[in-house]
Amino acid sequence: MTDHDHTTHLLSRRAALRLGLAGGIAGLGLPHLLGKPAFAQGATAKEAAKKAPAGRVVVGITQEPTVFNPLMLKIEVDDGVHFSLFDALFRIGPDGVITPNLAAEVPTQKNGGISEDGLNWRVRLRDGVRWHDGRPFTAEDVKYTLELITKPNFRAWRTAGHSLLRDITVVSPTEITWRMEKPFSPYLSFLTETFIVPKHVLETAADPNTADFNKAPIGTGAFKWGKRTAGDNLELVANRDYHGEGPYIETLVFKYIPDLTVFYTQFKSGDIDLTGQTYITPDNYKEAKTLPNKVVTLVPRQTIETIYFNLEKPQFKELAVRQALYAAVDKGAIIDALYYGVPSVTESYMPRSSFYFNDKLPKQTFDVKAARKLLDEAGWKPGKDGIRVKDGVRLSFNNTTTSGDHLREQVQQFLKQSWADIGVEMNIANQPAAVLWGDFWAKSQFDTVIAGVTYMVASDPDVTNRFHSSSIGAKGGRGSNTAQYANPEVDALLAKGTGTFDPEERRKIYTRVQEIVRHDLPFMPIFQYTVPLGHKSSVKGFVPNPNTRTESWNAAGWSRVG
Amino acid sequence: MTALAAPMTPTRWWQGRAVRRFMSHRLALVGAIMIALLALACIVGPSLLAYDMLQIDLRARFAPPLTGAHILGTDPLGRDVAARLLMAGRISLMVGVLAMVLSTIAGTLVGVVAGYRGGWVGAVLMRTVDGFLAFPPIFLVLALAALLKPTPAMIVVIIALTKWMEVARIVEAEVRSLKEREFVHASRMLGLSSAHIMFREILPNAMGPIIVAASLTVARAILLEAYISFLGYGIQPPLPSWGNMLNGAQQYLASAPWLAIIPGAAITIAVTSFNFIGDGLRDALDVRGELK
Amino acid sequence: MSRFLLGRLIQSAILLVVVSVIGYVILGLIPGGPLSQFGLDPGLTAADIERLKEQMGLNQPLWMRYLDWAWKLLHGDWGVSLRDGTPVLTVIARHLVATLLLMGSSTVIAVAAGTWIGIRSATRRYSAFDYAATVGAMVALSIPTFWFGLVGIYVFSLKLGWLPAGNMYTIGDASVLDYLHHLILPSLVLSLVHIAVWSRYMRTAMLDAINQDFVKTARAKGVAERRILMKHVVGNALLPMITLAGVQLPSILTGALVTETVFTWPGMGRLFYDSLGYSDYPVVMGILMFSAIVVILGNLIADVVVALVDPRIRLA
Repeated sequence: MTDHDHTTHLLSRRAALRLGLAGGIAGLGLPHLLGKPAFAQGATAKEAAKKAPAGRVVVGITQEPTVFNPLMLKIEVDDGVHFSLFDALFRIGPDGVITPNLAAEVPTQKNGGISEDGLNWRVRLRDGVRWHDGRPFTAEDVKYTLELITKPNFRAWRTAGHSLLRDITVVSPTEITWRMEKPFSPYLSFLTETFIVPKHVLETAADPNTADFNKAPIGTGAFKWGKRTAGDNLELVANRDYHGEGPYIETLVFKYIPDLTVFYTQFKSGDIDLTGQTYITPDNYKEAKTLPNKVVTLVPRQTIETIYFNLEKPQFKELAVRQALYAAVDKGAIIDALYYGVPSVTESYMPRSSFYFNDKLPKQTFDVKAARKLLDEAGWKPGKDGIRVKDGVRLSFNNTTTSGDHLREQVQQFLKQSWADIGVEMNIANQPAAVLWGDFWAKSQFDTVIAGVTYMVASDPDVTNRFHSSSIGAKGGRGSNTAQYANPEVDALLAKGTGTFDPEERRKIYTRVQEIVRHDLPFMPIFQYTVPLGHKSSVKGFVPNPNTRTESWNAAGWSRVG
Repeated sequence: MTALAAPMTPTRWWQGRAVRRFMSHRLALVGAIMIALLALACIVGPSLLAYDMLQIDLRARFAPPLTGAHILGTDPLGRDVAARLLMAGRISLMVGVLAMVLSTIAGTLVGVVAGYRGGWVGAVLMRTVDGFLAFPPIFLVLALAALLKPTPAMIVVIIALTKWMEVARIVEAEVRSLKEREFVHASRMLGLSSAHIMFREILPNAMGPIIVAASLTVARAILLEAYISFLGYGIQPPLPSWGNMLNGAQQYLASAPWLAIIPGAAITIAVTSFNFIGDGLRDALDVRGELK
Repeated sequence: MSRFLLGRLIQSAILLVVVSVIGYVILGLIPGGPLSQFGLDPGLTAADIERLKEQMGLNQPLWMRYLDWAWKLLHGDWGVSLRDGTPVLTVIARHLVATLLLMGSSTVIAVAAGTWIGIRSATRRYSAFDYAATVGAMVALSIPTFWFGLVGIYVFSLKLGWLPAGNMYTIGDASVLDYLHHLILPSLVLSLVHIAVWSRYMRTAMLDAINQDFVKTARAKGVAERRILMKHVVGNALLPMITLAGVQLPSILTGALVTETVFTWPGMGRLFYDSLGYSDYPVVMGILMFSAIVVILGNLIADVVVALVDPRIRLA
């Protein structure tokens, strides 16, 4: 795993660089890992890094980035672009550690950045940062950004956490404070995905929703806006005055290739240098590994493949039914055969890489006999057609996933056969994505759904949105608890968790939550996504990061050799 | 076909001029025979094969054709492609034929009424026809498929909804010219009801073009079903159709090309055959029209 | 003539209203909507979705949204894309170039090949070539375009490696040759059906022309057979072909849509398919109205040209 070594080196170098900069030490002779010439004596690391970015990296993506105001409603691929154009106050590394980005330090209760009661925050900002148009970045920009998000008419993306902010005050150009309505520990993580926008540009727009900025954004990031060929690609160019490390490449291109077969062919032929977002499909992994001059690694994602139950449907009210259905799923066969052994089996909604992951959850075993026994004992007796019935309820239901998702369709057909084996009828009723993930999902109109669900925002373990009984959309709740799961103990733990800042304390809370959820089975966890990501071996510095939604979070650190 | 057979000498239908001309049209004959064979294979075939189309066997995934027990190989779930192909044929041919029947009936009704009544009734009906025709058909199909539950019956309805307009146009034109003929005037003078005149007097005389259009509609309906199922909006698994067998096949194009080639070939054969038949019928029934 | 034109224009306007109503209603009835793609976002809550629906005016009744949209359209405002806020006409214009490139090149191929096959078939009627062309045209008309595209990708991209499997150009190499290289496969696939159609029409038109009196006269006068063919027959046969181009437009458009989705060609078809997937109503409706206008105008022009060329057809 050369890639892994690379990661640690790069990180330590980044950390060292920050240390150097924070301490104001010039002329730090850092070892250069990226095969570039050694620095001239006396030059600062920062200046040396700026020396002539060269080359180009083409990132292949399967959806088109279209939203360039990073605060507006957006999807993952847009994030990939935003990480290069903009900076947030903080960044989160692959190890889940939060480091300062536009901020000068990460506020904690220990360093006094966050008050003991968790209500008052103070963030010190980095000095000397400039926007792409040359204007200086100050605390005013941060204030403007945080206020814009909750403006009534602004079509903002996530507002959770931001809506708790009160009394945002600019203390000095490099210091900002605010008060929170109630203690909310996940907010630090949320800020790693909140990119800061320039006040002086957006302020002049009549309506920030339609500002010119949204089509030609100005950020503080390592790359500047280049040009966009709608429907095909987007080109960014190096920001030679970047305040952080890099960039080392001159142009960064995001190329939109919606078809996976074409995508893979282009990776093979070398038309794309790096596979971002959507990955090489599992069936191509084996071959991809053997391609010359390509590096293909398996990278865990935070997304968990699940089969959701709608717990309010009469078929699924009983735990025994859910346990029986789960026991009849041959997870091994699904992962090994249908997904070519690429993803990793899991019992939790929490990704394995998380600090909060509970590795002591009971393992599911594929056992048809046990499944039948569970149903027999619970009083579900086979009817004339072989399908089990209890109190007039037939154990028959629909299963839905996105139309045309052939891998999941294979899983569905496989499950249909497995469950028929224990006297359960499952019918496939797929829907186009635009229909499925609307009210059908949000308002729990389904029986069961196969979905790849991400539970974490950045790396924060809070899951109030998914499991708190006040989050059931179908019952007027404000969250995405689509299983309609309600457990008073989980509710209490989740409330406690968001008010707790100490990671060790929080670990105890969320370990228990995982235990209860695993027991109650509001969904069947199938596997955690692990995806083959590939890049040309001439692209250096690629570091996957499961705590961001994109593979190009650190494009600033990429370089080309040869 | 009453109009075509001479009214005075009672002849059996197979002795008619149209039948003779159809039979002498070699391509049409080839098409008819191919469809007959295909239909026979789809009806009888599945029971002759050793495998069930739904039987999943993950150990036998991706067996190439002609190498083992599976003549046409297996799919990603280890199911027998031959068994699925023949069962899919039942669905695809059935969808094609039923969509044709439905759209022909709807189109004929609209066309006859619009052509015979004329005036504002005709105008409203025909402008609606034009309105539907002005859509790219793919749009209508995709939007409708998202709107309606994709059961085979619904697929039939969706396809019929996008195909009835052509028949309506043909029939309307035919009826408009026929209604000025003497036999219609005579019927009117006899005091026959409009319905009687429309459907008992005029319609039989317009059957030729309708039959031709119908045979071509089957061909196009099969193509359309294939396309929407290919996109995943059509026939739902595990029920196979030629189109949904191709969905996913694109993914395995490099490693398992037979998954794409076999169902595609089946579609092409079926559609070509129906087009041959349509062409032959056009000659046989003396319908002037262009090949589309 | 002017009365005829006026009548047809009024009818066309009514037709456009009908199209817009049908389209808008079908779109509006599909459950889900443009916010569905955020259904799985871990940080976006149901409350956020409700807020956005409100902000984007999505929870107004369908008829109000339609009237609002139609009123703006009447004033030349086609609306903006819900995805990136770009005006719909700009979005269409951007993608139109790619589609025109594809349609243009495949039409050139179709006309060239179709004309040649048609002439040869007509002059050698009932020859082996004629039969082969007939059968070939039938088969070409019966091959599913998307499948033919897949087979093309399999053979020429995956097996032989001669042609790229998709997109319009290689990043960093936007030379004309590179564009052509990417254009070959999709335009060949798209032209197949049209070669078939065009060659059949050409054959019929040629046969019609050969039997005309002036051809017979020319022949009687002893004009060289080749000269008769090129000057009189082909010239006369090509005339009705002009109208065919108009009639064929919508079907080429549809074909382009399918071809673009298979070859990830950044044209109108791809845009339409994507926009439908995102429920980007303004763009979908924009494309719909745009293509309806093209189709209706195409038909209108075809009718007018026919009337001008052939005075026997009474315009009524």
